[in-house]
Amino acid sequence: MRFWTLLPGLALCLPPPAALAVDFQRDIRPLLAKRCLACHGPDEHSRQANFRLDTRDGALGKTGGHAGIVPGDSARSRVIVRAQDPKRPMPPAGPRLTADEIDLLKKWIDAGAPYEKHWAFGKPERPAPPAVRDARWPQNEIDRFVLARLEKEGLTPSPEADRHTLARRAALDLTGLPPEPGVMKAFLGDPSPKAYERLIDRLLASPAYGERWARVWLDLARYADTQGYEKDNRRTIWPYRDWVIRALNDNLPFDRFTILQLAGDLLPSPSEADLVATGFHRNTMTNTEGGTDDEEFRDAAVKDRVAVTGQVWMGLTVGCAQCHTHKYDPISHREFYQLYAFFNQTEDNDKPDDSPTIKLGETTTLVMRDLPADKQRRTRIHERGNFLNPGAEVEPAVLSAFHELPADAPRNRLGLARWLVSKENPLTARVMVNRLWARLFGTGLVESEEDFGTQGNLPSHPELLDWLATEFMRTDWDMKAILKTMAMSATYRQSSAVAPALLEKDPRNRLLARGARFRLDAEVVRDQALAAAGLLSRKLYGPPVMPWQPEGIWMVVYNGESWITSDGEDRYRRGLYTFLRRTSPYPSMITYDAPTGELCTIRRIRTNTPLQALASLNDPVSMEAAQHLALRALREAGPGDAARATRLFELLLVRPPRAAELERVLQLHRKATAELHGRAAEQYKLLHYDQFIYPRDREVVLVDDARGAAPAWRYTMDDPGEGWQNANYDAQSWKTGRGQFGWHPKMPAEWKVATNWDSEFLWLRIEFDAAQPLEDLKFLVRTAGAFEAFLNGVPAAASLLDRNGYYEYRVSPEGAAALKPGRNVLAVKASRIREKENGGQLMDLSLRGAVPLQPGAPTAEQAARAAWVVVANTLLNLDETLTRR
Amino acid sequence: MSPLHELLLQRTRRHFLERCSLGLAGMFLAEARGAKAPENPLAPKPPHFAPKAKSVIYLHMAGSPSQLELFDYKPELINYNGKECPPHLLEGKRFAFIKGVPQMMGTPYQFAPRGQAGAYVSELLPHFSQVVDEVAIIRSMTTDQFNHAPAQLFLHTGSPRFGAASMGAWATYGLGSENQDLPGFVVLVGGGNNPDAGKSLWGSGFLPSVFQGVQCRTQGDPVLYLSDPEGMTRTLRRDTLDALRDLNELQQQEAGDPETAARIAQYELAYRMQVSVPEVMDISKEPDSIHTMYGTEPGKQSFANNCLLARRLVEKGVRFVQLFQWGWDHHGSSRREDIRYDLPHKARMIDRPMAALIRDLKQRGLLDQTLVIWGGEFGRTPMRENRGGSYGQFVGRDHHPYAFTIWMAGGGVKAGLNYGATDEIGYYVVDKKVTPRDIQATVLHLLGLDPYRLSYLYQGLNQRLIGPTDEGRVLHDLLA
Repeated sequence: MRFWTLLPGLALCLPPPAALAVDFQRDIRPLLAKRCLACHGPDEHSRQANFRLDTRDGALGKTGGHAGIVPGDSARSRVIVRAQDPKRPMPPAGPRLTADEIDLLKKWIDAGAPYEKHWAFGKPERPAPPAVRDARWPQNEIDRFVLARLEKEGLTPSPEADRHTLARRAALDLTGLPPEPGVMKAFLGDPSPKAYERLIDRLLASPAYGERWARVWLDLARYADTQGYEKDNRRTIWPYRDWVIRALNDNLPFDRFTILQLAGDLLPSPSEADLVATGFHRNTMTNTEGGTDDEEFRDAAVKDRVAVTGQVWMGLTVGCAQCHTHKYDPISHREFYQLYAFFNQTEDNDKPDDSPTIKLGETTTLVMRDLPADKQRRTRIHERGNFLNPGAEVEPAVLSAFHELPADAPRNRLGLARWLVSKENPLTARVMVNRLWARLFGTGLVESEEDFGTQGNLPSHPELLDWLATEFMRTDWDMKAILKTMAMSATYRQSSAVAPALLEKDPRNRLLARGARFRLDAEVVRDQALAAAGLLSRKLYGPPVMPWQPEGIWMVVYNGESWITSDGEDRYRRGLYTFLRRTSPYPSMITYDAPTGELCTIRRIRTNTPLQALASLNDPVSMEAAQHLALRALREAGPGDAARATRLFELLLVRPPRAAELERVLQLHRKATAELHGRAAEQYKLLHYDQFIYPRDREVVLVDDARGAAPAWRYTMDDPGEGWQNANYDAQSWKTGRGQFGWHPKMPAEWKVATNWDSEFLWLRIEFDAAQPLEDLKFLVRTAGAFEAFLNGVPAAASLLDRNGYYEYRVSPEGAAALKPGRNVLAVKASRIREKENGGQLMDLSLRGAVPLQPGAPTAEQAARAAWVVVANTLLNLDETLTRR
Repeated sequence: MSPLHELLLQRTRRHFLERCSLGLAGMFLAEARGAKAPENPLAPKPPHFAPKAKSVIYLHMAGSPSQLELFDYKPELINYNGKECPPHLLEGKRFAFIKGVPQMMGTPYQFAPRGQAGAYVSELLPHFSQVVDEVAIIRSMTTDQFNHAPAQLFLHTGSPRFGAASMGAWATYGLGSENQDLPGFVVLVGGGNNPDAGKSLWGSGFLPSVFQGVQCRTQGDPVLYLSDPEGMTRTLRRDTLDALRDLNELQQQEAGDPETAARIAQYELAYRMQVSVPEVMDISKEPDSIHTMYGTEPGKQSFANNCLLARRLVEKGVRFVQLFQWGWDHHGSSRREDIRYDLPHKARMIDRPMAALIRDLKQRGLLDQTLVIWGGEFGRTPMRENRGGSYGQFVGRDHHPYAFTIWMAGGGVKAGLNYGATDEIGYYVVDKKVTPRDIQATVLHLLGLDPYRLSYLYQGLNQRLIGPTDEGRVLHDLLA
C-alpha cells in the first residue's frame, strides 16, 4: 500500500471528485500541508518570517508588510503574489506550484478562505444512512453508504461471490485459516437464508479467531521473543501473547482491552491476568551490551511507548514531536513530554534481568509497575529530543487540541488509558474500526492507517467511517459485533472479479464496487498449507516453537543459543507461535513481509518478489506440506486421477476445479509421472520428504553427553605427547571421569560440572561401537573454551569460539569417512581461551548420526504417487492459493 | 483502447513473458496498480545528477579493528607505554569495559610511509601497502556510539536504533538495479557470525521490503530456498512453472486482477535466478591468476572469496555489495581477542584480498565507477583495556568512538589522499573531523543522489539516510 507513495503525483488515490467546488479538507489543506507548513506551520522553531498558514488567524496576518491572505481577494493576497513571483517564488525549494494548484488557492481565497477543523479532530457524529435507489441490495447500513456513492458515480455493485469463495474468504479473514471441512459442508448444505450468518457466527466463535486477531494486534505491540539489540537474548513474554488471544476470544470490549494493557497494574487489586496484559509496553527492546548507559535505553523505551500509544490508539504521529513541535499536527514539543510523563514512572530500568516480573507457575514474565510515590521521577523536556539535554520540567497532561482529562482522573497511565477510550475521543474508535476494516477489505477507509493527522489520506467514505465508529462505541466497543456487521454487509460479500472498464475507472477499488483481492499474510500462507496438508496443530498457547528452518540462520554474536527444531506437533503450530528473534527472524515469514518486532507495525506493506516465489516453491516446509497434501488427497479421493485432482483442489482452495483447470492439472501429472519413471531416488524423496528434513527422527547417539547417559571418558590434564588422538593409542594411564568437565571461579549450578578441569588443556578419549553406516554425523558441543575432535585419529571438527548451549558442529567429510563398523575412538582436546580468573572453562559433547534412507526399486505406481507431490507443490504456489479473494 | 486495458491484454498473452525474458523483472508492486502500469521499483532510475560511482562495495570489519595497529601511526604513544592514562582523558567518559585508570599502550608493530603519497601503513598490511596510492585514507573518523550494535546501525542506517533503512536499501531505492536477474543489493557475511546488529544492517526499515539486502551465502543455498527441493528435477521444476503459468492465466481471465500477471512474472524471474545466482557465485571458473591474486579457494568460506564475489557482482550490475567480516573486537580478554596473537591473523586474512580487489577492479576498468569502502564501526582506545580493573596475560584495546580510520577507493574518490588527523596519542581527532553522516552524504553524492533530497515519507516525516538535520556534509575535499 505504501508503494503508492513511490509514484509521484498520486498522493490522493481517490477518483476525481464529481463536484468542482473547492473543498478545504480535500483540496486546500493537503496542498498547504505538503508545500507550505514545513516553514509556515505550528512549529515556531522552524517557522519562517513569523508567518503561519495552518490557522486562519495566522494566514490573515502580515508577511512582508502585506496580508498573507485577504479573504475574497486573491489578487491582493501575498500568498498568491509570492506563488506567482517569477524571481522569488514560494515555496523556495522544490518544484513550483502548478497553475492548477494556484487556481485552487485563488478560488478558495476568493470564496472567503474558509478554514475547517481537520476532519479527524472533531468528534464523529452518527450520520443517517443515505437513501439509495436500489433498495434491495443493502444488507445493512454499511451498504447504503457504499451504494449511495456508487450510484453517484454511475456504478453498480458486483454480484455476490459464490458460496465456496465466501466461505474461504470469511474463514481466512476471521480465523486466518481455510474453513474446516465440517464448517464447509454445513454451510454448503444449509438452504436457510441464515446460512451465511451462521457461518460467520461459527467462525467468530472459533478459538482460531483469537489467534488470527492476536497476530494483528501483536504487530502493533512489536511483540518478539527476544530483547533486541546486540545480544538479543531470549525473553519470556509469550504469556502476554496468550493473554491477547484469550482476551480476543472472550471478546473483551475494546475499552477494557485498552485499559488493561496500558494500565492493568494501576487498577485496584489487579488480577494476575491484568498484570500480564501490561506486557504490551514491555515489548520494548533492552540493551545489555557492556558499558551501556541504562538511562539512554530506558529513555528510548519510554519514547517508544509514547509514540506507539499515539499511533495505535489515535493514529497520530506523536513521535514526530519528540525533537520539536509537530510540523503539521497540533502536538507541541512540550506536549510530547507531558505524555512522556505518564510513562516515566515505570520501574523497569533497562536492566538485563528484565524486571519487574511476575511468576506464573513455572514461568516468569514481564509486567509494568510504577515506582512508589516517594521515588517518582521528574520529567523534563528533552531539548532536540536528547535526554542528556533536559529543559523545563513538565507534569503529565493530555494533548490540548483534544478533549480534557476529567478533573478527577488520576494523572497516571490509568487516567491516560481512560482518556483514550473515552467516548469524547474523536480518534480512537475511528482508528480501530478503520484497522478492522482494512484487515477485511485490504485497505482502510483511511488508507494511511498510521496517520489520521493532516498529512494522512482522507477517508474514502467519511460518513461510513463515522457510522462505524459511533456504532462501535454504541455497542460498548464490541469487536466481534462490529466485525460481524462488516462481514454481513453486501459490500463484503461481493465477487472480487473485475471487468476492464471498472478496473480502469477505479483501479484500486476505493469505491468498493467489487470484493477485495489481496495476498495472504505470511502466517496465513504457512498455516493454510499446513491445514490443507492435515498437518496443522490446533494446540493453543504456550512457549514459542521452532519449526524447521534452514541451517545457518541463527548466527548470533555472544549468544550460544541455537535453533533446535521442535518435536512432534510443535513443528506444525500456527505461525504466531514461531519463535521470533528480532535480529534473526524466521526467514520465510520475513520474505512474505511479516514484521521483525523491532518497530510497531501499523500495517504490513505487501510486496511481490521473486524471493517469495523461491520460498513457496522450494522451502522444505512448503515441500513437506506438498507431500502430505498429496498423500492426503490420494487417501481421501475416490478412484481415478480426476477424483484425486479434484480432492487436491477441495483441500487447498475449498472448491472443485473448473474443467480447464482439471485438464491442465492432469496433463502436469502425466508429464511428471513420465519424468519420474525409473527414478528411484526422486520417487522416494518426494514421497518421504519429511524424513529428509528431520534427520533427528532417524537419530542414533554414538556417544552421549551429560544431559543423557553421560558415559565415562578417559581424560588427562598432562600433555600426553604425539599420537594421543590415534585409534591405537594406549590411554590406560589416564584417569576416568564423566562430563561435564570444567571449572569456574563461582561454579554456577547450571554448569553441572561432574569432573574438575582447571588446567589450560584437557585431553579426552572414549571408545564406542558403530553398528551400521550413518549419515548426517554431528557433534553437539557445550564449551566455554575451544576444542578439536578426532575420529580414529582423523580431524573431525574444531572451533575457537565458545558457545553457551549445546552447539552443533558437523563432522568433516574426512572424519565421517574414518568412521567404521565396530569399534571406534573419539578423541578430543579442549583448551581454555581466557585467563583462568576471567570467566571459566567447560567441555561436554555428544556424537550423533542418522540412519540413511534406503530407497527401494522404482515402480510405476510410486512414480504416479510422487507425481502428485509435484502437482501439490504447484497448486500451493497458485496465485489463487496465495490470495484472499 | 485505454493504455491500461491494452496492458492487461498484453500481459495475458504468452508471448509477453517470452519477449521480455531478458529483463522483465516483473511487476514487483502488489499494491501500486492504477491508471499507470505498475512500475518495477528495481528498474534503473535516473540519478539526481551525473554520478561518479555506479556501484558500491562496502567492506565492514565488524567488531572494529584497531586503527592504532593498522593505519594511525602514533610514535609518541609508544613513549607513554605503561604509563597511567591522564585523568582528563577519562573524565566524563564511558567505556564498555575499561574500569578505573588504565595504562597507555603504543603499538607493537612497525609503520613506514608507503607509496608516492607516503601514507603510513602498518607492517601487518604488506599487500595493501602496495596499493595505497589508489586509496584515500581517512584517519579522522568519529562516531557518537560506543557499542557495536548501535554504532553499526548508526553507520549503515543513519540511526543507532533498529528500524531505519540501510545504505544499500537507500541506494537501490534511489537508483534501482542494473541487473534484473540478480538482487540489486547483495550482502556477504564472513567470519562465522553475523555482525552484532544482525540483519537490520541490511534491512529496508521503513522502505518497501523489495529494497532490503539479499544475503548470498557461500555455503548451502547461495540465496535462501534457491535450490530445487530434493527429488524435484530441473525438468519437473520447468513443468510445474509451465502449469503454474497456465493455471494462473486461467485465474486471471476470470478474476481480471493485474496482480496475477505480476506473480507470473515473479515466478519466471525466480526461475532465472536459480541459474544466474549460482553462476555468479561460482568462482571456480576464474583463472588461476585471479585465485593467486586474491588468495581464493573455491568452495571455502573466506573473506578472499567474498572479495572476489563482490567484484563479480558489481561486474554484473549489482548496485550495492555489503560485506561483513566478523572477529575484530580485540579487547584482550582472551587469546583470540589479543592484538599480538589474533590481530596479525585477521590482518593477513584481509590484506591480500582487499589489495587484490582494488587491483582487479582497476585492471578491468571498473575502479572508476565502483566505490570501495573499508572500516569498522568505531575505533579502539589508545589505552590498554583493563577488564574488571586489572591486567591479565592478554593484550587488547577497548571501544573508542572518538577516533578511527576508514579508507575509500575508486568511484570518484581522490586517489593517494591522506585525510584528517588525530592528536599525538590518537585519542581525539584534531583535523578534518568526519562523522558517519558525512560518509553517508558522500556515498549518496558519489552515486549521483542528493543526500538532502533523497527521502521517504514515513510516520509523517520525510525520512532520510542522513537523518533529520542537515549536519551531514558531502566531503568535497575527498572527491577526485
